[in-house]
Amino acid sequence: MPPLAPAGPRTFTRRTLLAVSAAGFAVAVAGCTSSSSADERDAVTSEQADELAAQVTVQSALVAAYDLAFTADPALAAAAADLATQAAEQLERLRAAAPGDHPAGEPSGPPPAVGAQGWLRAQVAVAATSHASACLDQAGGRAALLGSIAAGLRGHEARLA
Amino acid sequence: MADDTADVPADDAALNAALAAEHAAIWGYGVVGAALGAGQAAVLAAEIAHRDVRDRVTTLLADRGTEPVPPEGGYALPFPVLSAVDAAALAVVLEEGVSAAWVRVLDRTAERSTRELAAEVLGAAEVRAVGWRAAAAQNPTTRAFPGL
Repeated sequence: MPPLAPAGPRTFTRRTLLAVSAAGFAVAVAGCTSSSSADERDAVTSEQADELAAQVTVQSALVAAYDLAFTADPALAAAAADLATQAAEQLERLRAAAPGDHPAGEPSGPPPAVGAQGWLRAQVAVAATSHASACLDQAGGRAALLGSIAAGLRGHEARLA
Repeated sequence: MADDTADVPADDAALNAALAAEHAAIWGYGVVGAALGAGQAAVLAAEIAHRDVRDRVTTLLADRGTEPVPPEGGYALPFPVLSAVDAAALAVVLEEGVSAAWVRVLDRTAERSTRELAAEVLGAAEVRAVGWRAAAAQNPTTRAFPGL
């Protein structure tokens, strides 16, 4: 009998990510498969590179939002510290995928004195929607990364509900 | 914008793998439901969601002239399901298996409409997984990179 969790997806390789060469953007394939079709999927246009860089700014705004919300609500900080850690990990991965200088993102306004959790949840939703939307115009490992991060943030939304 | 005509075989293979994961999830939720007892809203909702995705992918593949994979006759459980916690842990396995398959679709597909479907399914699977991880007393309940 086949296993319940198919083996295929478990072998998904994290090829990806972009690196900037001296000549511009180039694809750094760090995984196993190396076919021409895989190369085509990971080829990046300047428009896609710009969009990916914009998502770094979106994510940095989210990381800042976690900081602001935690400052406003220490109890929230204690309860949701793992979410902030994951948001920072996501930012790190996005920066690795789109190296270079990116403007720091800022959340929309400070959190309210009461209701920081709801405010933070709204910031998470904005970032998740932005990453999911950006994912549609990417390809290969970049689309996979953005889609995965967007899904992870949907999970954050659920936790913060 | 990606070329919507490129790489169709890899695209379809990934979709069929996702369909296989959906078949497995539907079967697995039968086990989860049996362990938790009848009328579990979360189980019913998850099963309905996976059946809906299964039907959409089956139609999508058929429209492309690709044979959709059928469900297996049976599946091997990753561990015995003897309690409510086991059942929740199994649901986590199911949702994470689905997520991994759909991330692979994102990696492989050349079509924007397929990426839309994948992104939608991934988000829903992770939200369900968060609930099941909590029920299974797993910590943390969230993942930074579901499916990767």
